[in-house]
Amino acid sequence: MQGFSDGGADLGQLQTTMRNIEVACTSIQMHINPAAAEATILSLSQSPQPYMACRFILENSQVPNARFQAAAAIRDAAIREWSSLSTEERRSLISFCLCFVMQHASSPEGYVLAKVSSVAAQLMKRGWLDFTEAEKETFFYQVNQAILGAHGIDVQFIGVNFLESLVSEFSPSTSSAMGLPREFHEQCRTSLELNYLKMFYCWARDAALSVTNKIIEPNAVIPEVKVCTAALRLMLQILNWEFRNDTTSMKAGIDVFSAGVRHDNGSSKRSECVLVQPGPAWFDVLISSGHVSWLLGLYAALRQKFSREEPYFLLWIDPPDVVSKAIEEGKSESEMLDGCRALLSIATATTPFVFDQLLKAIRPCGTLSLLSTLMCEVVKVLMTNNTDEETWSWEARDILLDTWTILLVPTDGSGGDALLPPEGKHAAANLFSMIVESELKVASASVTNDDGDSDYLQASISAMDERLSSYALIARAAIDVTIPLLTRLFSERFARLHQGRGIIDPTETLEELYSLLLITGHVLADEGEGETPLVPTAIKTHFADIAEAEKHPVVVLSGSIIRFAEQSMDPEVRATVFSPRLMEAVIWFLARWSHTYLMPLEETNCLSNDYQQHHSVNSKKALLSFFGEHNQGQVVLDIIVRISVMTLVSYPGEKDLQGLTCHHLLHTLVRRKTICYQLVSLESWRNLANAFTNEKSLFLLSSANQRSLAQTLVLSASGLRNSETANQYVKGLMAHMTTYLVELSNRSDLKSVAHQPDIIMSVSCLLERLRGAASAAGPRRQRAMYEIGISVMNPVLHLLEVYKDESAVVYLLLKFIVDWVDGQISYLESRETAAVIDFCMRLLQLYSSHNIGKISISLSSTLLSEAKTEKYKDLRALLQLLSSLCSKDLVDFSSDSVEAAGINISQVVFFGLHIVTPLISLELLKYPKLCHDYFSLLSHILEVYPETLAQLNSEAFVHIIGTLDFGLHHQDLEVVDMCLGALKALAAYNYREICAGKTGLVSAGLGNLPEGIFSRFLRSLLQLLLFEDYSPDLVSAAADALLPLILCEQGLYQKLGNELIERQTNPALKSRLANALHSLTSSNHLSSRLDRVNYQRFRKNLNSFLNWQNKRNGWFRFLWSFLNFSMHLEALLLVV
Amino acid sequence: MSDEEHHFESKADAGASKTYPQQAGTIRKNGYIVIKNRPCKVVEVSTSKTGKHGHAKCHFVGIDIFTAKKLEDIVPSSHNCDVPHVNRTDYQLIDISEDGFVSLLTDSGDTKDDLKLPTDESLLKQIKEGFAEGKDLVVSVMSAMGEEQICALKDIGPK
Repeated sequence: MQGFSDGGADLGQLQTTMRNIEVACTSIQMHINPAAAEATILSLSQSPQPYMACRFILENSQVPNARFQAAAAIRDAAIREWSSLSTEERRSLISFCLCFVMQHASSPEGYVLAKVSSVAAQLMKRGWLDFTEAEKETFFYQVNQAILGAHGIDVQFIGVNFLESLVSEFSPSTSSAMGLPREFHEQCRTSLELNYLKMFYCWARDAALSVTNKIIEPNAVIPEVKVCTAALRLMLQILNWEFRNDTTSMKAGIDVFSAGVRHDNGSSKRSECVLVQPGPAWFDVLISSGHVSWLLGLYAALRQKFSREEPYFLLWIDPPDVVSKAIEEGKSESEMLDGCRALLSIATATTPFVFDQLLKAIRPCGTLSLLSTLMCEVVKVLMTNNTDEETWSWEARDILLDTWTILLVPTDGSGGDALLPPEGKHAAANLFSMIVESELKVASASVTNDDGDSDYLQASISAMDERLSSYALIARAAIDVTIPLLTRLFSERFARLHQGRGIIDPTETLEELYSLLLITGHVLADEGEGETPLVPTAIKTHFADIAEAEKHPVVVLSGSIIRFAEQSMDPEVRATVFSPRLMEAVIWFLARWSHTYLMPLEETNCLSNDYQQHHSVNSKKALLSFFGEHNQGQVVLDIIVRISVMTLVSYPGEKDLQGLTCHHLLHTLVRRKTICYQLVSLESWRNLANAFTNEKSLFLLSSANQRSLAQTLVLSASGLRNSETANQYVKGLMAHMTTYLVELSNRSDLKSVAHQPDIIMSVSCLLERLRGAASAAGPRRQRAMYEIGISVMNPVLHLLEVYKDESAVVYLLLKFIVDWVDGQISYLESRETAAVIDFCMRLLQLYSSHNIGKISISLSSTLLSEAKTEKYKDLRALLQLLSSLCSKDLVDFSSDSVEAAGINISQVVFFGLHIVTPLISLELLKYPKLCHDYFSLLSHILEVYPETLAQLNSEAFVHIIGTLDFGLHHQDLEVVDMCLGALKALAAYNYREICAGKTGLVSAGLGNLPEGIFSRFLRSLLQLLLFEDYSPDLVSAAADALLPLILCEQGLYQKLGNELIERQTNPALKSRLANALHSLTSSNHLSSRLDRVNYQRFRKNLNSFLNWQNKRNGWFRFLWSFLNFSMHLEALLLVV
Repeated sequence: MSDEEHHFESKADAGASKTYPQQAGTIRKNGYIVIKNRPCKVVEVSTSKTGKHGHAKCHFVGIDIFTAKKLEDIVPSSHNCDVPHVNRTDYQLIDISEDGFVSLLTDSGDTKDDLKLPTDESLLKQIKEGFAEGKDLVVSVMSAMGEEQICALKDIGPK
């Protein structure tokens, strides 16, 4: 291939090159032999030092594509040869590119200029860390001169353009590859961000400012606009920079700004809008220089100027109604969306107050009002054309909602809601009423476009949750207006339902109520997320003038909803009004509401602060105590319980509704002690307990609901004053189950009746209940649950035998025992422990005898894989059982120690493992959860009781070692980590035994392995560390395992080390390797003891060894494979 | 779904009834159900509503336990479905004939010769080899609604 290098270039040669390239470019364009043409162009960029030729082409060629290719060739060659270029050459390349673009600024081929400019930027970046400040200064002086407009509009544009390429090169997400490590890009990024970015921004702004006047002039020609656009683009690009250096230290001096800056950029998930996060250092440039108003002024002026033409870059979002109308009439919406994004960006950087003030200078009302009006317009558009397609109004709504959220979410962490100026409150109230109106309209409209399947409540709530919580923020900003509004909307709909009953189809109203309930739930209360939510601050602090609790708007609203819910008790009303869907919303609301308002914890705190005779405290107290223990709380609780029972009994087969009742509402109730106290004394609660034991309809609940209900009922026993009554209560609840199971298992015809579907159903149902109850066993109810468990032990074994092929029942049986043992084990006295352990072993053996060697046969692959999954779930349960048993050694509340009764937990667990491991094939270990459980149990056992491993028979031993080896090469980091832990424990145990003069693990009847297990693991661990890819996080764990292994197998280690050194042919490397290996075991005063200090030293040694070794890795890999090969050869020879 | 009378009929010959009624909402994954008069194992249950404010209905996907065919059904969740009575019996394997039929030993000491082994080649080979080695093999036979089929094999020896 003919090269194009500069060596001895004369004019003729350069011209030939240029012609070649030109011909190639033209032929590519005309598709004549493109492969050859590409090869020609490629050869230019690949030839050494093609710079002369490229320059010549750039300056002389008439073919723009050839110039483009020449620029690309300069880039490729220079990046490739950078390190061999002299400083002078580097500089001259960059300045050539810069000068070229400046000189040809008016050239019509913009893409060539852009390319050359970007080449300059890339080369600049490549040399960024080498150039001195002075050198950079020189370049930037040139650029700055251009940007200032000293050389005319075109050059100014080029200058801005160059900066744009430069910034995009330095931003990690848009940089081009240079074949350099990531650190290089990071360093460049940081350097630019800290030292130049702000300066560039100012330059761009100045450039834009310098042309503004001309643009605004009515008769101006267009070229200045080009500069302005480029400058604005650069400014936007800089603002979108991913700022990293949060210079918090600089905050202190800047008051307003730092208070308003938010660092929670997670809050804008809805609209994919990049938030501006330049940090406080930018305050002076961005805010105080007043250029926001300049920008706004510019927009206004531009709008005037271009009002009769196409919008040039941004159409202002004001006045909103005109804009939205224009968009609906077919104008492009992107300008409007940009306007919304601008508002979002401003909101991110300011407090609500500052935000509101921003536009005061040029408009009569504040920004909040504008935001509100704008969003109202958007919502109106949404209302009129309600389609499923995501239109511009969706996007605008999401962006604007984000803006509100950003403004209103409390930032100071004190939980105080952001305070809005009165005008802003008014705006929020207007907006909220518009939002509610639109949501109601959407709701009633959705009834008609019914597609048969509607979403499940939880799904629809979580999909809407973010939106609903934004609504709630808006509503809370104007709480005095919005609560009465909601009350009014509710009562209108209640009345409508009432009047129209039996006459008008209520569906629309039902759907509206459904929507209102969700919105109101969000406005009134927060989601607890596992904690107890407090009454929202806005609600606590407002309504100061209300002294009578009954007139408190929140009380009025809550009361009207609860009274409405109560009507569902009437079968006739229920049939016509309370559809399952509406009931779901009611239950959801009641759960959320009661979590915050029903007998609140704050009540007591509030009452104790009696000395604060402030108004707001009074009203707050009134609100908190109204639904408190001593007031209406009990009545409301009774209503809620009765409604719950009704949904369980009177909505047969409505799993979702019943699930909400069990998991959401009832769970919420029993979570708080104050409520439990009341519950157990309520007649309605006793009725629920009765129905639970006796009524057939509750047997029809789905399994998860069944379990949850049992758990809830048992938990409510914590409301009883002493443990005796609590135990009695639990026993009473559960007696029916134990009796049934005992009787069933004693039936002589058990085998024939057991497989009848109705019997299977009853058994499953009772087992679910038992499981639920077992998982609710606390210290107070432990006795009762223990006795229940003991009484069903034999039935459980009988049932396991009978249902051995009924996987669903088997799983339930196992899960019940797992949960029961887990809840009981730490409380049991030694004699009881012995009984439980004995039982568990029988269970394990029985399960194993049913399943070992069993092959399922089915024509259906689905059923076969189901069978495999079931097996996996069973085994996982069994491993959990063993882990629970293990925990007895760690957590024990009993009065005597288990050892006293001659129980050795370790033996028990090993025996269990012995039974279970044959069932766990390597195939099954591919289930990540099972794998995880298995190895965590294994590593725990080996760490705590390594001595018992020696007691296993060789088959089980080999199996366990095999799985360890498997785990060591697992992809999951945690699994490998656990295996290394187990290995460490084993080897350390062995080493100590040997030191103490005992035989250790190897010779303890386990000698039938081809080589000792430790030498095998030493080899495979070294292999892993030296030649395989592993996470650096594992090095410490690996060091901990390696040290005892080396100590156990010093001979083998020496041999392996020597072999490694021997194979090294390069004498220099040989001695370095020998040194490295030597210092691995000897530096840092490493001794042969296994104590903490020594482990730490070895970790350090291994780290430094691996660092050294990583550099030589490629060579080592080759060596090792060679070594392995020769070992195999040796082995082969031995066999022969 | 079958009608009420059918259940009475099936209850008349107690103990031998082939199907039982059960509320659709209580039938779960891994349970059994009759779809289009075939006994199926449920592999998927989902619920939805009939209309926005209507009642729940269950959508079942079942696999015929004998033919492995996939069947589907939609039932209002408060209504009853038929659930087949699926029984399993273990027999000791005495012999495998050339044409794939097996000879099984019943509890009463008789032999049962009307069942065929699965047609899967590798499995068949495994069983035949195991049998030839003199292993004690137990065969699990699943029966429901008047049909039966071998569903599992187990090696219980040699001790």
